[in-house]
Amino acid sequence: MNVPTGLIQQEGSAFGFGELEEAIVLQGLNIRNDEAKAPLFGTGRPAATLEMFPSWPMRFKQTPRGSSKSGGGSTDSGSAVNTISSKTENQLEPESPISTKNTAPLDHQQEMMASDVSRTGQEKRRGSTSEKQLDAKTLRRLAQNREAARKSRLRKKAYVQQLESSRIKLSQIEQDLQRSRSQGFFLGGCAGALGNISSGAAIFDMAYSRWLEDDQRHMSELRTGLNAHLSDSDLRIIVDTYISHYDEIFRLKVVAAKADAFHLITGMWTTPAERCFLWMGGFRPSELIKMLISQLDPLTEQQVMGIYSLQHSSQQAEEALTQGLEQLQQSLTDTIAGGPIIDGMQQMAVAIGKLANLEGFVRQADNLRQQTLHQLSRILTVRQAARCFLMIGEYYGRLRALSSLWTSRPRESMMSDEHSCQTTTDLQMVQPSQNHFSEF
Amino acid sequence: MHYQVDSWGYYMPRMSMGSDPMERVAKLASESAVVIFSLSSCCMCHAVKRLFCGLGVNPTVYELDQDPRGKDLEAALMRLLGNSQAVPVVFIGGKLIGAMDRVMASHINGTLVPLLKEAGALWL
Repeated sequence: MNVPTGLIQQEGSAFGFGELEEAIVLQGLNIRNDEAKAPLFGTGRPAATLEMFPSWPMRFKQTPRGSSKSGGGSTDSGSAVNTISSKTENQLEPESPISTKNTAPLDHQQEMMASDVSRTGQEKRRGSTSEKQLDAKTLRRLAQNREAARKSRLRKKAYVQQLESSRIKLSQIEQDLQRSRSQGFFLGGCAGALGNISSGAAIFDMAYSRWLEDDQRHMSELRTGLNAHLSDSDLRIIVDTYISHYDEIFRLKVVAAKADAFHLITGMWTTPAERCFLWMGGFRPSELIKMLISQLDPLTEQQVMGIYSLQHSSQQAEEALTQGLEQLQQSLTDTIAGGPIIDGMQQMAVAIGKLANLEGFVRQADNLRQQTLHQLSRILTVRQAARCFLMIGEYYGRLRALSSLWTSRPRESMMSDEHSCQTTTDLQMVQPSQNHFSEF
Repeated sequence: MHYQVDSWGYYMPRMSMGSDPMERVAKLASESAVVIFSLSSCCMCHAVKRLFCGLGVNPTVYELDQDPRGKDLEAALMRLLGNSQAVPVVFIGGKLIGAMDRVMASHINGTLVPLLKEAGALWL
């Protein structure tokens, strides 16, 4: 028997279970048939033979019974049936009693299995049934299995292809996005249309990117002012302007918190490295002071005490806000977790009400940040304040540069060449001191 | 004088039904060094309480949702503060400090602790 070989050649791809089972069964059946010619299982009526193969064209003639017998995999088989040309039907039409067809037996079967790819009109039914001990159900099942296996292979192939192309598209989009973000340019207005960012968030992102550009200008003014050894009163004007510049971002954040507190609190408006240090939608004031303390020398004793006191008060305030937020989270959990399902909508309404308090916490945190910066400028002299703000700006600028370097670092992928090119350009971007200096 | 135990476990002189809520606020505020008007369910109120406890202060807290005339007091506080959020609100030494933002600003600029010491809430 060359049946198995024929089956292997059949579809070129992985050998399906359907065919294997079929081969084994039919092999066994063929052996049995050689041994004895038993009467057809079930009935001697011609019509019964026709029904045994619901995947074959005879289903058209026997639709009610065929569909009830074929059960699960029938839709697949059915669709295959539909593609069969009318020629097949014509073949079946003048069907004479089985006995004549029975001569088409095993040879036909083997040929068909060897060459079967698409079910054209050339396929004959396996009319050999009356000569063999073929279980009607088994044969139907085999046919269905084969059909289902074939379909699932095709589906899998299509799915994998789709995945591959999506993966490539996704990494390209990611690259573009990170490149844009590193240049301080957000999706802004068009992002609102994408639906994955609220309009309040999009508006804020746009305003923030503009603020970052302004920040660059202010930074260079500070630098020039310091280097030019301006008088204290002139420098004071520059420093005060810079503080107003900070006040502006805090005003913008108030609006943003009302529109979309989640956007601020998750830090999606900042870069990854900044997000790492995020506390309640922005920088942690005590951490900032800690960073500055070592760099602000020389300080008078009074100034040192003032700075340490500021750091201490800030820590206490941060702790209080953090505990308040934790209580909010606990309260939210208690509202959502468990409870009667019947009251679901009420539960949700209560939860939404609690969530609204998030805005308050982000606002208080921003208020804390703003107050801290103001107090810093009160403790320090004008020149110290100018240097201090410059330091803050440079610090966040480096964090932003770090973020963009990180996102464009070479990875083990097909994209590695592109990535290394991008890293080079990013390094070039870091060198000139103008870019990426920002704070909030 | 007839004294009544209120929900705060606090002995208070019985007031007439028609007393002005604003007057009541002022009266309550002047009776302790640090007075916080709060709602037991409010998380920002929890934060302000934690702030004072962290400073070593023992504030007198009035939970307005547990007061039979709490609604009137809330309305009075809203008028006093000029916004829709009645609580939390802090009085130190009988004087109005304000809501959370003012309390924070005061702490950061270093004026809160002297006020507390002056009112006798802190001794260090």
